[in-house]
Amino acid sequence: MTSSRAIFRHIALYAVAGFGLAVWAFPVIWGLMTSFKTERDVLAYPPKFIFTPTLDNYREVIFGASSILPNLGSSIVVATGATLLTMLFAIPAAYALARLRYPAKKTSGFYVLATQMLPPVGLIIPYYLVLQKVGGLDTYGGLIVIYLTFSLPFAIWLMVSYFEDVPLEMEEAALLDRAGRWGALWHVILPQVRGGIAVTTIFVFLNAWNEFLFAVVLGGNQVRTVTVAMFNFISVEQTQWARLAAGAMLAMAPVIIIGIFAQRHIVKGLTVGAVKGGGRR
Amino acid sequence: MMTAPRRTSTSADPPGGSGPAWGGPALGPASLAASVRLEGVLKRYGQTVVLHEVDLAIEPGEFFVLLGPSGSGKTTTLRILAGLEQVSGGRVLMDGTDVTHREPGERDVAMVFQSYALYPHMTVAQNIGFPLKMVRTPATEIARAVKEAADKVEIGHLLGRTPGQLSGGQQQRVALARAIIRQPRLFLLDEPLSNLDAKLRLETRLGLHKLQRSLDTTTVYVTHDQEEAMTLADRIAVFMEGRIVQVGTPREIFGAPATVAVAGFIGTPPMNLLPGSWQGGVVSVGRAHLPVAEATGDARPVTLGVRPGDIRLVEGGIPVIVERVEDLGDSSIISFLDDEGRLVKMKNDRPPTVQEGERVTLGFEPEAAHLFDAATGLRLQPAAH
Repeated sequence: MTSSRAIFRHIALYAVAGFGLAVWAFPVIWGLMTSFKTERDVLAYPPKFIFTPTLDNYREVIFGASSILPNLGSSIVVATGATLLTMLFAIPAAYALARLRYPAKKTSGFYVLATQMLPPVGLIIPYYLVLQKVGGLDTYGGLIVIYLTFSLPFAIWLMVSYFEDVPLEMEEAALLDRAGRWGALWHVILPQVRGGIAVTTIFVFLNAWNEFLFAVVLGGNQVRTVTVAMFNFISVEQTQWARLAAGAMLAMAPVIIIGIFAQRHIVKGLTVGAVKGGGRR
Repeated sequence: MMTAPRRTSTSADPPGGSGPAWGGPALGPASLAASVRLEGVLKRYGQTVVLHEVDLAIEPGEFFVLLGPSGSGKTTTLRILAGLEQVSGGRVLMDGTDVTHREPGERDVAMVFQSYALYPHMTVAQNIGFPLKMVRTPATEIARAVKEAADKVEIGHLLGRTPGQLSGGQQQRVALARAIIRQPRLFLLDEPLSNLDAKLRLETRLGLHKLQRSLDTTTVYVTHDQEEAMTLADRIAVFMEGRIVQVGTPREIFGAPATVAVAGFIGTPPMNLLPGSWQGGVVSVGRAHLPVAEATGDARPVTLGVRPGDIRLVEGGIPVIVERVEDLGDSSIISFLDDEGRLVKMKNDRPPTVQEGERVTLGFEPEAAHLFDAATGLRLQPAAH
């Protein structure tokens, strides 16, 4: 009886998981199919599930007049630059928030979070004006700095809980072992929060990679990220669905690759953060 | 009062032989054991004073125990010695040098934490070798020292594992090895046995004692366990509410507690404490009059203290009723209630001779009485007892 119940449980679980997966995967699969269709097949009604696949769309978005390769390049520069800078500042900041005793610690922690409460669209105009004044519009530096303003608070907030999970005594032991504060951070603390660093890095990178609003307003001809380039396939006269889909698939590729490689880290990092101090030693 | 001959030998030294074979020959060249002095050390957290101008002198090579209930300031004192806490006033001296404001790493001090604080991402060998790596010791030298330190605490076979793969007792020994590898001048231990089970705690206690003797490093050991303190210490400082109330050898502290609080804290079961009145050579408790060794002129209210082991069944003593008999086979602990409902315990190294509910009268040898001022709690007799 127990085994039949177990089987039923399994079936139910798979059904629920399958439904969830279908909801999530459907747009991706639909997009993937669309990217191999001709424009005629795309617009066919009823939709065609059996069709002759073509690589024309990919050829066009990679080598054609509307190649998105430069845009992928822009995205890589912006997202990588923003991520590296974010982590460079977020790691010491989160460590300080988690560890050091200083006045107004609580207030500054709240401030970090409060910056996340502003709707981005409300910041667009001030940012635009500031960048215009300093000549930062349509530059990598300008966009990266703007990305820092929202990714840094997020990264700090995420990293603090990882740092707080490392027992204070471990750091004190390192201090007594003559490691010094930097040595303790480097040799003892950072290796223990590397899961958290991985998770945060990925989130920050993905946020920057997928960002559209700031990129479209503050970018331009020089700095046009791939999310903005997607927009080129949509015009008043027509929408080039097949090319759009092919471009979207290319834009998603790095995200998916990172996801596959980092999946183990992400799951581990998230669960460690969830169960505070659980299974750490 | 604070200066004692280097390493006072006590009758409480644990017997050798049955413990782990820790220790062995000294590690490399003999380390320089430090003398330690605290002068008027004050520690405040906001408005709360946790250490009230503590003075303390620890001799080189001494095994010194800071004993007290939780919240008494003993761990804070240890952390001040380590440099992990800043003092609010006073000075810390090592070998006469003021180290009050030196960083932990500059004090040549090693510490074993209550939680061991092993680095979970490093192997046992990397953990033990870490203090040497931090001062850029050559790898071959580290490997040799790690092996030596690990062998000293019998974990040479565990070097390749990570702390997560070790039992509590093994982790504790890794922490010890990490502390001894650099031959510090001062060795600090913060309740190192409290996370071990009872049997392992006894074994490790013996091992620690041997290890300290073989290293000859000044050792400061924090515990709330008076039995640990009695068996390990050359001298003990008893902490109560942020003050040191007594410093002495285990024998001195057990034999002549300086205050009622110390008397009640040291010994298992704790000392019986009864209110009475002292006049001449007699203490009166209720209607009973009992002779004591010392005499006083005027009648004065006192707290009479008698160790459970010193209580005897005598004629004409304090009338009590037997409340409970605990037969431990070769010995017994008997609880009595007196007329006022106060609990008195007797410890006997014989099987019990009384029954629950029986009425008896209790007394003691005159020399066994401890007399404390009823108001201040201070000991009224000379220290030598």
